[in-house]
Amino acid sequence: MGKKVFVGMSGGVDSSVSALLLKEQGYDVTGVYMKNWSRDLPGMKCPWAEDLADAKRVAVKLGIPFEVWDFEEAYRDKVVEYMLREFKAGNTPNPDIMCNQEIKFKLFYEKAMEHGADFIATGHYARAGAGPSLMRAVDENKDQTYFLYRISNEALGHTLFPIGEMLKPDVKKLAEKNGLHNAYKKESMGVCFVGEVGMKDFLKEYIDIEPGEIREIETEKVLGVHEGAVFYTIGQRHGLYISGVKGEINDGLPYYVVKKDLVKNIVYVSKNLNDKHIWTKELKLKDIVMRTEPTKHILVRLRHRAPLIPATLVDDTLYFEQEIKRPAAGQSAVFYDGEVCLGGGIIL
Amino acid sequence: MRLAAFNVVAVARLVYNYGFLCYHIFMIYLDHAAATPVSDKVFEAMKPYFSHDFFNPSAAYLPAKKVAADFEAAKGVIAHAIGAKASDLVITAGATEANNLAFTSINLDGSCRSFSSPTSQGSVGDPLHDRHPSILYLETEHDSVRKIAEQYGGEAVRVLPSGVIDLKDLRAKITDETQLISVSLANNELGTIQPLTEISGIIREIKIDRLKRGIKTQLLLHSDASQALNLLDINVARLGVDLLTLNSAKVYGPKGVGALCVSHDVRLKPVVYGGGQENGLRSGTENVPSVIGFAKAVELAKEHLNGNRKKFASWRKILLAELQGYELINKKHSLDNFVVLCYNGIDAERLVFLLEEKEVYVSTGAACAASKGIKSHVLKAIGLSDAEIAGSLRLTLGETNDEEQIHDVAQIINGVVATERERLNG
Repeated sequence: MGKKVFVGMSGGVDSSVSALLLKEQGYDVTGVYMKNWSRDLPGMKCPWAEDLADAKRVAVKLGIPFEVWDFEEAYRDKVVEYMLREFKAGNTPNPDIMCNQEIKFKLFYEKAMEHGADFIATGHYARAGAGPSLMRAVDENKDQTYFLYRISNEALGHTLFPIGEMLKPDVKKLAEKNGLHNAYKKESMGVCFVGEVGMKDFLKEYIDIEPGEIREIETEKVLGVHEGAVFYTIGQRHGLYISGVKGEINDGLPYYVVKKDLVKNIVYVSKNLNDKHIWTKELKLKDIVMRTEPTKHILVRLRHRAPLIPATLVDDTLYFEQEIKRPAAGQSAVFYDGEVCLGGGIIL
Repeated sequence: MRLAAFNVVAVARLVYNYGFLCYHIFMIYLDHAAATPVSDKVFEAMKPYFSHDFFNPSAAYLPAKKVAADFEAAKGVIAHAIGAKASDLVITAGATEANNLAFTSINLDGSCRSFSSPTSQGSVGDPLHDRHPSILYLETEHDSVRKIAEQYGGEAVRVLPSGVIDLKDLRAKITDETQLISVSLANNELGTIQPLTEISGIIREIKIDRLKRGIKTQLLLHSDASQALNLLDINVARLGVDLLTLNSAKVYGPKGVGALCVSHDVRLKPVVYGGGQENGLRSGTENVPSVIGFAKAVELAKEHLNGNRKKFASWRKILLAELQGYELINKKHSLDNFVVLCYNGIDAERLVFLLEEKEVYVSTGAACAASKGIKSHVLKAIGLSDAEIAGSLRLTLGETNDEEQIHDVAQIINGVVATERERLNG
């Protein structure tokens, strides 16, 4: 028997193909479904049971053992609590980054090691290089290192990313060729509150929300009513409920959220794309994680799949050569040097 | 092996009865408790009512009146099959709705506090939790009974390890406040047939006693007969039930239609308001094609009742003889088409997926419970351990099967069980 690997299987095509590849490479593979969240929200069915069945079906097809590891309590404590805290503070948290840091590459890793694993594996598009170093995936379009920059080096050193060298279309083709039924499955995160629609329902369940005014920042004019300031992100353009505003301001141009006053529960909007709240040349960060020795001149990614932009890191501040659209507080800025992910921090 | 067993007559029969099933010609379907295909005769009977006879039965002109008459006649066919009249039936959109409607028979004024409407989250404002429950239901009931009973603060009555109701427990739990007892005629996971005449006997005794003591609280018996309509000879008067739920989808009729048979002295409240159809209890333009199909399916079921029972009983014997390494769970008091097995030390869900690859379709329990990843409350109630529940496989025979398939499937199941045991030991 080859080395022992526990592979996290979500029921999606990426982790299914990862398990397939490991099996073909001669590893002693065990599939694990991480049960992180199973609560239905009003009007929204949590997909966990279907995802679990999809994962198990693939494991059975591959002839590998399959287990369900229940991390619901830890997920609630570490990920959900963090999300609620951040939203209440007016920020826009990133649950995936926290889930990787606290659950997948911590609890899952630790439990796998206790079970005698040599490695863990996931279906992330990323690569683990020597060192260990976290490296961008070959498929630049799918690279998920943005979500992984906070995982520990210890876990990374024991992690296999079987599809990190592959392109997504090839992953799908391989799934089809091997009769894996989830080749065409819609990508799901396994938790219903990920995505814009789900997040709103989720927050309504857990945070007391009051409707409030939407005001134009330049004039203080009340344009409409919002459902609760926590739902809004700086730079947001959709879902403002101010259509049909009549008169001189109805020139067809969209409004953007430029500021939130959580104390007064007011969301400020503007049509002025040059509003000072939208643009910035510097970003202050907190909770910086450096995976390697800090370098001054780096490339920065401010959203998953966003382009890499050059910047200079001095202490806890990023300086950009050109003005950038200000990302929401609570999101991450992730640093790169070529293919290597250097680390990152959380935007203030 | 399957190809060797290829039987022209059997295939021809399959194509004749279930023409559209040709796509799955090599399929062996053993999950008839989850769904049954609409037979061609049923489908043919329904067709005119989608197009030519599409009229709203409530409209004034003659063609519409003809549709209304056909609809009433169809209800009559369904009602007669259980010894009732068309006017006793409330047509619903399936058995779940019929079960929910049955619970509106409870009198919430007077003896109980007012009832705030149930929420989807399962925590009702304040109904009856702090007082004697006025509802008793069998702990192995389907969720469409359990969930609504819980909403009303109902109490579960235990089953014996055989799956049959514990009559002692029932007697002990009936109080002077008890208004409704809900016990399915046959369980959907085990096929266990409940002794409804005995239960209605107990109820009669209690009613006599209540009368003597001047207690006027009603005491009704509701039974969900979804699984049994095509396998048992049902007569509402003989069973002594006040409310009986029927389901078209389990008897080779279309999905999304069912009925609640209501005896005369029971007062229900609508769950759907509108144009006042179905005696005001279930508003909405009549689902004519489905009810026509339901009636045809019931007619066919009655016609084939005895033949089917014998056939399924003999196939059950074949399976029990030819399958290996199992323990039979539903040994007694079961519908003839239910075979519930336990494979010790094996994860039956893996068997479901292995069998799926061979176009053999079975289940580990009720389809809706399995898809939610919930352990069967039914198997738990009869005292199975978690490991035994995990090893349990439900086969439900039906009209898409033939004897050839039964022999074949025994070998196929033996094969995948052996594969799985090898994997575990290797």
